[in-house]
Amino acid sequence: MSDDSEAREAVGDYKAGWHDPENATIRFDFGLSEKVVRDISELKQEPEWMTDIRVKAYRHFIERPMPTWGNTEELMEIDFDKVCYFLRSSDETGSSWDDVPDDIRNTFDRLGIPEAEQKWLSGVTAQYESETVYHSIREDLEKQGVIFLDMDSGLKEHEDIVKKYFGSVIPYSDNKFSALNTAVWSGGSFIYVPKGVHVEMPVQAYFRINAKNMGQFERTLIIADEGSSIHYVEGCTAPTYSTDSLHSAVVELLALPGAHIRYTTVQNWSNNVYNLVTKRGVAHENAKIEWVDGNIGSKLTMKYPAVILKGEGAHAEVISVAYAGNGQHQDAGAKVHHMASNTTSNILSKSISKDGGRGSYRGMAKIMPKAENCRLNIVCDALILDEESRQDTYPTMEVGNPTAHCEHEASVSKVGDEQLFYLMSRGHTEAEALGMIVNGFFEPFTRELPMEYAVELNKLMSLEMEGSIG
Amino acid sequence: MDASSQYLSADYPDRADHLWRYTPWKKIHPTGDISDIPSDFSIPEVSLKTIDGSTLPPGISLDRGDADSEGLPDEEKITKSFLEAVTGDSKFTLTVAPKFKSEVPIIIEISTSGTFCSAHVCLDIGKLAELELVTVVRGTCKWFGMLRTGSTGEGAITSDVVVNRLEHGKLLRVESISIPRNSQFKAGTVSSGSTVTKADLRYRMFQPGGNLNVLGSILSAKEMSLDHHIEIYHDSPETFSRLDWNSACGGSSRTVGTGMLRVSKGSNGADAAQLFQNLLLSRDAQADSIPELEVSEHDVVGCGHGTASGPVDEDQMFYLASRGLSPNESKSTLIAAFLNSTLSEMGGERMHGWLVSELDSDLTELGD
Repeated sequence: MSDDSEAREAVGDYKAGWHDPENATIRFDFGLSEKVVRDISELKQEPEWMTDIRVKAYRHFIERPMPTWGNTEELMEIDFDKVCYFLRSSDETGSSWDDVPDDIRNTFDRLGIPEAEQKWLSGVTAQYESETVYHSIREDLEKQGVIFLDMDSGLKEHEDIVKKYFGSVIPYSDNKFSALNTAVWSGGSFIYVPKGVHVEMPVQAYFRINAKNMGQFERTLIIADEGSSIHYVEGCTAPTYSTDSLHSAVVELLALPGAHIRYTTVQNWSNNVYNLVTKRGVAHENAKIEWVDGNIGSKLTMKYPAVILKGEGAHAEVISVAYAGNGQHQDAGAKVHHMASNTTSNILSKSISKDGGRGSYRGMAKIMPKAENCRLNIVCDALILDEESRQDTYPTMEVGNPTAHCEHEASVSKVGDEQLFYLMSRGHTEAEALGMIVNGFFEPFTRELPMEYAVELNKLMSLEMEGSIG
Repeated sequence: MDASSQYLSADYPDRADHLWRYTPWKKIHPTGDISDIPSDFSIPEVSLKTIDGSTLPPGISLDRGDADSEGLPDEEKITKSFLEAVTGDSKFTLTVAPKFKSEVPIIIEISTSGTFCSAHVCLDIGKLAELELVTVVRGTCKWFGMLRTGSTGEGAITSDVVVNRLEHGKLLRVESISIPRNSQFKAGTVSSGSTVTKADLRYRMFQPGGNLNVLGSILSAKEMSLDHHIEIYHDSPETFSRLDWNSACGGSSRTVGTGMLRVSKGSNGADAAQLFQNLLLSRDAQADSIPELEVSEHDVVGCGHGTASGPVDEDQMFYLASRGLSPNESKSTLIAAFLNSTLSEMGGERMHGWLVSELDSDLTELGD
């Protein structure tokens, strides 16, 4: 079977499943070694300290065993020797879409990125394979001192800031996949928002994997200085192949006193991508970090956005939705560590499984002994739509201070017959009714999204529900 | 392979498994040397009586001898094989005749002594029997291992409460109970003894109509570490379970409540819920909860869990103060009420009165 027909057959309803011919300017051989790690660093002409961190991380990755929890069966299927760890598609990052090679520009056109940029974004970065191919930021924000760069440029142009914060929130030794990312990271975003600056419109990053057996390891670092705010949106897609790709990102957020960071993800990888991501933010005094996290695609996602509430009065908000269809396992959740007094957090998780999919909520909430008067609330709701599917919840709550008020509740249920009956009595078909119920179930998430994302997500979910009844 | 060989060949449990996260096997092992199976285990004194001292009704007996280990969870080899290895001469079977009925609760009294002590108690409860049973563990041994296995008969209605009144030391308790068709089983745990407790309690509803109610009243004071893991399996249609677990933690103690609710494929009509509540009474106390849920059947009535942790409610304290109670009296009253909400559900009035009288002194100590 040719690549094209194989892909067409596999794509099905997945709209972003096409792929372009591969036009790499640099492509590393499959497999990981210390030489690969050093070569990536050398190619990027990085300072010595970064090469050293990469090498240390690589050695840690090799020594560290695979996690013994989660979907260990799927994890053990990852063949790290069959992944390409670096592929450059364009020799430079364009600041205008005209500078981007035609085939890559066409891909982003089809994904609607340039159109969205004109309408409602403050800045855009587009990553294709290992590196950023397009980058722009509104002039007025640049004048206010906002730095929005791809991570490679960030390291070159603001080495002192990167050196200070890189790995400060998520050290390479945190877990096996943070070690892998630190060893071979490439691309991602670097953002610094100066004191008191509010970035009114969101900035967006779009990540696209095109090649077969590709590994994408972007690294994102966002620093919101005192009293500032920013909303960062990321989306991701990949072609559908019969072989697997690996996405293992690390995202570090620092919200300094009084700052507010909202980080929105709409993950729609194709069903042959392992999505093993580490995301964590540190919130200082009266700062607020929000993770708005949607997981629709991928083969296996293991992602637990975390917030460390380090300063008094800090607040964390995690809203997470997951859809697990045929052959998918969405193992998502949230972690919150209350290190300081008078800190508060809310976690809301919504999950749907269908056609044999598996959804899991995995969370950790911890109140440290010295953190007085903390408040924590976790709600997990899950729907199972058919006989083949499964839902799990694995929450952990550790409370070490007697003044804390902590609550967790979870429920797993099916779509109510009476809800379906009511909507059908109003003239809707079963599939339409189910689509409406599912969209309503996800509403706490979609209402937090920019309008364009919310509309697309609703369409996507309605499409997924077609043919699920009867 | 005998139990000792099975234990010695088993893999050391991974702390990523929530069962072993807080109290690793090394901590609860009698000597701390996990390659060791001590040989000097003593046999406790075990007796059967009624709660009011009256004569035992006919149809119930406790015999020393072989106990049935079938139904023990295969997935947890370490504790199963270890306890089987050390309870070889210390097996007891409680036999309850079909249609047995007793108005008076029955007590299995286990008195421990010596350094290491162990017992395997098997429950063999006949069809349509109705009884309230309390197993109380007392004594001064430094380490007590208790294996409880068995099943109830079809249509039986059983309240089965285990009370830990060990003066100090460590308690390892492993339990596996099967609940058949139309059987109602109430499993209560009252824990106010031993310094370290590790309990692995598993209940399986394997036929339609099984009904399970798991209740816990945990008093944790001083430097106690009380770790209870409860697994409930819905392996058949139209099964029902509730878990209510209340822990009051004072001193520098730690309580851990981990639950696993598994609804297997084909268990349509399952109705399951679990709730862990923790009352934190002192600055150094800690309470951890992990209520897990795995649902592989979509046609369920509902499956849910919850956990809540917090201090004594200030409004309730104020209300009691306005009725003339001192702060200490108010606090003790509220702690007692919190623990009593599960204690009162464990059995009828007579059993409840007996349980309250057993715990009265400990409740006062916790409130101080």
